[in-house]
Amino acid sequence: MELISHDILVIGGGLAGLRAAIEAKKAGRDVAILSKVHPLRSHSVAAQGGVNAPLGNVPAHVKDSWENHAFDTIKGSDYLADQDAVEILCQESIDRVIEMEHWGTLFSRMEDGKIAQRPFGGSGFPRTCYAADRTGHNLLHVLYEQVTGLRIPVYEEWYALSLIVDEGRCIGIFGFHFFEGKIIPIHAKAVLLATGGYGRIYLRSTNAVINTGSGCYLAYQAGVPLEDMEFVQFHPTSLYGTNILITEAARGEGGYLFNAKGERFMERYAPNLLELGPRDIVARGIQTEIDQGYGFEGGYVYLDLRHLGKEKIMDRLPGIRQIAIDFAGVDPILEPIPVQPAQHYSMGGIATNLDGETSLPGLFAAGECACVSVHGANRLGGNSLLETLVFGVRAGRKATQKAEKEKQSFDKGIFQKRWEEFQSDLEEVFERKEEEPCFRLRDEMRALMTSQAGIFRKESDLRTAKERVKELKERLKKVGIKQKSLAFNHELVKFLELEGMLQLAEVIVEGAFGRKESRGSHFRLDYPDRDDKHWLRHTLAFKTVDGPRLEYKDVTITKFPPGKRTY
Amino acid sequence: MKSKVLTLRIKRFQKEKDPPQWIETFHVEPKKGMNLLEALLRIQDEQDGTLSFRYSCRGAVCGSCAMRVNGKLVLACRTHVEDLMDKPTFIEPLPYFPVIRDLIVDMSIFFDHYQKIEPYLHGKPVSHHLEYTMKEDERKEIDPYIQCILCGICFGACPAFIRDSQFLGPAMLAKAYRFFADSRDCRVKEILDGLDDQKGVWGCNTVFQCVKVCPKEVPPTHAIVKVRGKILRHRLTSLISRFWSLSHRVG
Repeated sequence: MELISHDILVIGGGLAGLRAAIEAKKAGRDVAILSKVHPLRSHSVAAQGGVNAPLGNVPAHVKDSWENHAFDTIKGSDYLADQDAVEILCQESIDRVIEMEHWGTLFSRMEDGKIAQRPFGGSGFPRTCYAADRTGHNLLHVLYEQVTGLRIPVYEEWYALSLIVDEGRCIGIFGFHFFEGKIIPIHAKAVLLATGGYGRIYLRSTNAVINTGSGCYLAYQAGVPLEDMEFVQFHPTSLYGTNILITEAARGEGGYLFNAKGERFMERYAPNLLELGPRDIVARGIQTEIDQGYGFEGGYVYLDLRHLGKEKIMDRLPGIRQIAIDFAGVDPILEPIPVQPAQHYSMGGIATNLDGETSLPGLFAAGECACVSVHGANRLGGNSLLETLVFGVRAGRKATQKAEKEKQSFDKGIFQKRWEEFQSDLEEVFERKEEEPCFRLRDEMRALMTSQAGIFRKESDLRTAKERVKELKERLKKVGIKQKSLAFNHELVKFLELEGMLQLAEVIVEGAFGRKESRGSHFRLDYPDRDDKHWLRHTLAFKTVDGPRLEYKDVTITKFPPGKRTY
Repeated sequence: MKSKVLTLRIKRFQKEKDPPQWIETFHVEPKKGMNLLEALLRIQDEQDGTLSFRYSCRGAVCGSCAMRVNGKLVLACRTHVEDLMDKPTFIEPLPYFPVIRDLIVDMSIFFDHYQKIEPYLHGKPVSHHLEYTMKEDERKEIDPYIQCILCGICFGACPAFIRDSQFLGPAMLAKAYRFFADSRDCRVKEILDGLDDQKGVWGCNTVFQCVKVCPKEVPPTHAIVKVRGKILRHRLTSLISRFWSLSHRVG
């Protein structure tokens, strides 16, 4: 049995993972990154609109401040975000954005040469710093450049199959070297999960094909609670057909939404902010129009940019113009873009404290897979990239401090024993006869989640979803794997990922079923109002043999008492 | 006449098989708006779980799914199945790179070259709390080169590698120019010196193959020509100044 060892092992090579690894490396630790794809292929690369920081670069009567940013974020979260976490997010935003600029991010600029900022949904100020509409691409490439310069080793195209826990502590993982077909235990004094979202649980998602939520599953499997998983963000504008993201910046720059009757229908849903309402409200607005028969055939509305003019579109939104041409055959300079809501982001995730620590010593999490919680029931656009940077740094720093206190030597015998157990579990999977193909279950799960646990929810749908997910879990036991060798075994990977996704789907449905109110992205037709008296609290889901067990914990309120949320 | 079924003839390679290389034909029922990557994923799900290829974003931004389709170098996700219905479509891995399995190639040489240009900003001193200022004109000069997604397609198309495999290649020269043109970077002479040989800008055939194939419209040849101009100007200036100092000493 081969055995690898590092001080800190980061799982995931997107923005949060790379930023955490850089922090650990700069502190002089032995850190490595493990990722199922080359880091530059991570889903962070697809982020478009920007990253929030109250720089106040756009001239205004009042100067923007971290307090304004925090208020917008908390109101946007429908008061479910932990306010101490939001304060940190906003206070540290400027340092993180300036640092990215110093490392070479090519932000768009104001007249005076400072970083340009644009308005985004649910924000009182033009606060979103951007690099045209390819901000994620710019940031990810810059961080990868830093990783290259610092010579941080990357285990590319390796999967993390399981955490190794001993005496109540995470001591490493089982890594799967996909090309060589080897399962190799990796010892680490600190393991940091930064695996991103689980969008592919849904049929319609803006997420990359690789977004299966594996990190959330690894933590959940090891007994760490998942927090607020019923809060799933549906982005208002995904391209009809492929559901590729059409950035909120399109509306930030002045784009209009029209239904099939030619009405700017957002007047009915967010009379003041219109198209720039927060995502949950705009997504529900669009879906309501479609459901009431005011959408176009197939179920979409129009996002119209034509009045912005060629120059502005080419300068500020070249990426989505290219996407619309490539994937829908529509040039936004000449025609409106057909859009519909699609799953986009997970507000919930692995429960962590303000430094990325989970309840399992030795295990940390940051980025979309974590729930600090800074987004509460609804995330504002521009805050996810910010979260990856702020909490990537904090988790990386804390993991470094904790790793420093750990002793150098470790018991190799435990790894040998666990490795043998793991191998025999796998053999069981290989011995099964295939009675049903994996993809059929996966496709059923996706359709189920979009139709029964989507934008609008109700008890009867969620009860059906609970039963169907349980049934799918049973059927998964009859899924076999034809290919018996480990190297390049896509079937095995898809099977393991589906196993994890079904567990996460169960947690989402269970949380949504339990929460008898409407808050942010979680909208219950049978409980259409927010109910602070009973539900101003976070959901925690723990894994048991019978499915998730739910507990609840209070929201941290500092200086922003819950108020009415109108836009 | 257009067929109703998509026919893909895929060049396979699996080193443990005998023979390791073969061409296999698959048929896929097309759906409206389907792209080639979706068709390949359908095959992997429903027909042959061993078919290997890379994928991630399915939106032409991650650079994973570069391959050769009917002789053209493309991203599979950006290739419409609708355009492939006339005749069987021949799919091969991206050329130039060694094949690992089926359509997966070994890109380590690509990232070795990437590392050689020290592809990170060597920033001039600046206050911790303030951004560097930059004019939009300067940003627009750099912007086209920033679009590179490092998919490797330009390496597959570049004829200069036939002469010298150590040639840095289009993507890397575009990247080097991106730092050269960036006023925040303190390297000027270092970058020019590093590119002033056959492995650098002088190794390019200036046939614009990379510009033609780039899925993100990055123009590496333009960067190469610009750097050549800068190098020549530097040489001329140093020649003139040497001549001056020499003639002064004689005088």
